[in-house]
Amino acid sequence: MTLPGYGLLKGMGVTLRQMFRKPITVQYPKVRETPVPRARGVIALDQEACTVCMLCARQCPDWCIYIEGHKEEQEPSKPGGRVRVRAELDRFDIDYALCMYCGICVEVCPFDALFWSPEYEYTEHNMDGMLHDMDRLQDWLATVPEPPGLQQ
Amino acid sequence: MTTDQHLLRQLSDASVSVELETEDMTLNIGPQHPSTHGVLRIVAKIDGERAHDIKPTLGYMHRGYEKLAEVRNYPQITTLINRIDWTSGYANEIPFLVAVEKLMDLEVPERAQYIRLILTEMARIASHLMFMGSFPLELGATTPIMYATRDRERVLDLIEGVTGGRFHPNFNRIGGVKPAAGAGSTMRKQSQDLPAGFFEETRRAMDGVRHSCDQIEDLINTNEIIVARTRNVGVMTPELAVAYGMSGPNLRATGVKFDLRKVEDYLPYEGIDFEIPVGTVGDSWDRWNVRLQEIRQSARIIGQAIDKVPSGPLQAKVPKVIKVPKGETYVRAENPKGEMGYYIVSDGGQGPYRVRIRAASFSNLSVLPVVLEGALVPDIIAIMGSLDFVLGDVDK
Repeated sequence: MTLPGYGLLKGMGVTLRQMFRKPITVQYPKVRETPVPRARGVIALDQEACTVCMLCARQCPDWCIYIEGHKEEQEPSKPGGRVRVRAELDRFDIDYALCMYCGICVEVCPFDALFWSPEYEYTEHNMDGMLHDMDRLQDWLATVPEPPGLQQ
Repeated sequence: MTTDQHLLRQLSDASVSVELETEDMTLNIGPQHPSTHGVLRIVAKIDGERAHDIKPTLGYMHRGYEKLAEVRNYPQITTLINRIDWTSGYANEIPFLVAVEKLMDLEVPERAQYIRLILTEMARIASHLMFMGSFPLELGATTPIMYATRDRERVLDLIEGVTGGRFHPNFNRIGGVKPAAGAGSTMRKQSQDLPAGFFEETRRAMDGVRHSCDQIEDLINTNEIIVARTRNVGVMTPELAVAYGMSGPNLRATGVKFDLRKVEDYLPYEGIDFEIPVGTVGDSWDRWNVRLQEIRQSARIIGQAIDKVPSGPLQAKVPKVIKVPKGETYVRAENPKGEMGYYIVSDGGQGPYRVRIRAASFSNLSVLPVVLEGALVPDIIAIMGSLDFVLGDVDK
């Protein structure tokens, strides 16, 4: 049996000791932690790679990707050649107010047009602002990090 | 004699023999209350300092996941079931995936199984550390949550390093774990195998978790106030716990040595040496101690599993469009909160015909009217906290 009040004094001792220690938390806007390379922050789009196949929009669990495109005829590479048709992207919006950050779209993309970026500072003051268009998504492509090395 | 004096004399004569009528007070706790771990409403009748006729009102957080699952295909559903019990999102995925694999008759590669095991135990540690912090907080002690979140953060960082998500990993795939990000041309295909330095960092984090457990135990288990508030408070007999379908640490605190990790074979636990901590009385104190010991056991399991992880593929061969053969199955697993199971009925399509989710917290919560009967008003919160439920798990 310990002395009465011993446990309470011990708790106060912890408080006293902790006063002279450095905190392990960081003050956010001044100090920023670097997210891990695989962190699912925001989805970046490579417009050149996208072929408007709509797989991501169809597989999205809450259908928050909006895609529109049109077909464009390209000049044949040499005279007399076949006219090639290429799909051009008109609209590629992701509603981040709806997005669940599951990554299915990134996974199903057969042409590597979608990437995860750890970027996280894109909040808005109202919900409409969370619908980001393809130019914004293209900008995030620059922030996609190198994948981490693997455990041997 | 004035009227006042006359009245006073009459009153003093009357008060001796006449029994005054008393009325019960109705106390409404929640739905928005910090101690209800979400949105739970409790209506209690208060007779003096004692509560009786407790009525928990559920459903404020009902998101209809069973219905939503019917209009989605199997890979999409794992994103939903992450959000059932958000303190251990990873552990939720396992029974669902194992059930689908059972229906499809798939053999999961061993490496994937061990990665699942390690991350499940990490989710258990994260969930129990949350309890280690929040339960003393409900009793008025603010220090343990600082210790607990400090090391929970390290565990969550490890989960994030592997899966990319802290709370909602969505890392499991039918037939294994996520093999690659981006299924496109192999040029940019990134393997989602364990990142470099994961084992070393995990060992360090587990040492940190053990240290944190020691600190919390040293601080809390000797504290007179905590002991007085939890010992012999909210006592449950094993019979009561079994009758109400309790599972997990709440059941084991009553002395029933039942752990699905030892009973079922959904993950390779049989080759791993660990103990099942049990309580004796079934009070809040036992529930606290069982969880404290379980964190240590989980750290022990992870330490052993790391040495056993074999090399090999991360996912079994599965078709691109996953169709599950006709049939039905139920798979249960030991989640941090208790038994979690999925009953899946498949009609041969890309999505399930019906999914029934058996969430642990729902059954654990159903005992509240019994266990809170006659409890002191301040103990309502203490007992509720010791049951460690999450409202997402209750309402689904």
